Amino acid sequence: MKIAAHLGKFKNLDASLQRLDPHSDCELWIWTAMNAGVHLLNAALHHAGATREVDSFHTQVEGLYAVPDRTRGILADQLHPPGDVMHVGQPPIAHSLPPAIEQACSSLKLIEDLREPHVRGSEPMRPGAEEAWMRAYRDYVERLLGALDTSGGAR
Amino acid sequence: MNGEQHRAKAVRIERSLARLTDADYEAVIEGAMLAGTHWFNILLHQAKLFPETRDAMHAEFLTLGDRRRVAATMPDALAALDTIESLRTLQVRGDMPGGEAAAKTARECLERLRSAADSPH
Repeated sequence: MKIAAHLGKFKNLDASLQRLDPHSDCELWIWTAMNAGVHLLNAALHHAGATREVDSFHTQVEGLYAVPDRTRGILADQLHPPGDVMHVGQPPIAHSLPPAIEQACSSLKLIEDLREPHVRGSEPMRPGAEEAWMRAYRDYVERLLGALDTSGGAR
Repeated sequence: MNGEQHRAKAVRIERSLARLTDADYEAVIEGAMLAGTHWFNILLHQAKLFPETRDAMHAEFLTLGDRRRVAATMPDALAALDTIESLRTLQVRGDMPGGEAAAKTARECLERLRSAADSPH
């Protein structure tokens, strides 16, 4: 998607996240924090020139994009180089990344790795775990907004 | 996971969904996918299509053979989860118009999956 569209999605998802509690809503909190982060990551990657800013949407299948025909309101599947990433490293990016984005990816990966134990699986939360999750969220949001140089403008 | 664990997860996620409105359509669609997949796995286990040691991640990722078995056994549940998953590309990873209507559709599909899992078998 275009950078502006990613920022709009981030803003919506970040607002939804504020209505969720990381403990009692941990499943949807994890998922929403991840999706918000992936949109911000895509915006930052496009901005840095590491991936292409194209009007296509990543599907559930890695590397497969849906390209909209906005006049007719239909989509066509297409394989093309990224483009948007679905998750950190999916699909892989050929370019080296600026340090701020690399560091943000590490924090975002921490949240992505919670999916199997806590969302698809039923592993109990460690007491106080949500503090680390919220720190990770704030870390990648801050780093990616910094990489986009949109301080104060995107949230 | 076993049926009880899937049910507990689905119920928790649905409780979280109740905090959101259709204006939160990206999170609603994702929550419907997550809770719906837990209901879908209950159905797969009940129908003995998948053992409790094996869960489906997405309807789209079922093998062709598994999809045919599922379609023959629980076509409405499969269609409901397919619909929710299709909304992800359009409205969560994409920015096509109609987000709030999509959230309503996702909630309706989730209701169909829950009803199917709750009906006597």
